[in-house]
Amino acid sequence: MALPQELFYTKSHEWISFENGIATIGITDFAQHQLSDLTFVELPDSGQTVSSGDEVAVVESVKAAADVYAPISGDIVEVNNALEDDPEIVNRDAFGEGWIFKINVINESELDELMDADSYQEICPES
Amino acid sequence: MDSYSVIFKKPVDYSKALEYQHRLLQARQNDEIPDMVVLLQHKSVITIGNRGRKNYLLKNLDEYKELGIDIYHVERGGDVTYHGPGQWVLYPIMKLGKKNVDSHGYLFNLEEIAIRVLRDFKIKGFRKKNKSGAWTDDGKIAAIGFRLKKWVTFHGMSFNVLDKLNGFQTIVPCGLEGDQITCLEKLIGFNNNMMDEVGNRILYHFANVCDRPLTHYFIDKNIPEFIKKLKPPLN
Repeated sequence: MALPQELFYTKSHEWISFENGIATIGITDFAQHQLSDLTFVELPDSGQTVSSGDEVAVVESVKAAADVYAPISGDIVEVNNALEDDPEIVNRDAFGEGWIFKINVINESELDELMDADSYQEICPES
Repeated sequence: MDSYSVIFKKPVDYSKALEYQHRLLQARQNDEIPDMVVLLQHKSVITIGNRGRKNYLLKNLDEYKELGIDIYHVERGGDVTYHGPGQWVLYPIMKLGKKNVDSHGYLFNLEEIAIRVLRDFKIKGFRKKNKSGAWTDDGKIAAIGFRLKKWVTFHGMSFNVLDKLNGFQTIVPCGLEGDQITCLEKLIGFNNNMMDEVGNRILYHFANVCDRPLTHYFIDKNIPEFIKKLKPPLN
């Protein structure tokens, strides 16, 4: 699957889109594929303040569980409640409807730390 | 540095092995060690995964105590399982995404290791739709449950070898009501070298399937300083 070029990425396989001060965060297609069909997403609390690198959510499949990290500091302003009923949205549309949480970004310069699609591609084998 | 395996010949307390895994996990996250894998047997223990359901324990806590079976809630995926002497447990500590083979999916690769080991012993192993692990015509032989932190794997897979894993009868393994659990001895009979042979095959196929060629170290033999440093006190 081609990586969306307009997104930012992390080494821990999160993607980030940024618009009007809000970062939307999900896990990449590579990440969802490692876990296979998700059965549960432990969402963070809305309003929670997080720092870059904090463990924020857990995605689980029948046999696996993986932590999702805040790629950027700020307040969590929204979580994707649709994942509570249907966690497999992440498998079907990792880069779109499968977003997990949104952060109100405090310091936009933290975005400079993130990878672009080309850099992420280098650490992530083609599937 | 090349990938390596650490092999324990004697059964290890679950808590000690868990502590060891956590040390290795952290060291791997910080790139202090390369991808590696631990191969061991546990002393009798039941572990319950993240979403594990306690109603799959068929005995009460006192009864488990009497049987000498410890119970642990652990952070891995998966449900209830049993570990004990006669079963190999494989704990790969690997950063996923470095190798092209990782794109097959880690779960798929672990299952593939078990299926290839079975093939070495002329047993047909296969995957079952919607049920992970490795299966034979006589039941499930390998169970999987893992966790990723910063995309480093820990926990992993168990493979039943000897026909003395009675602890399985005290649980509903992985919540699979009505499914049989089997072991290699039941399928091909006993021989004295069985544990060693299967352990070797597991590591051989791990190296191939996960594309991590291994140097092997036995914990009770001469181990290099970097392995000694991480080792928790063992019983």
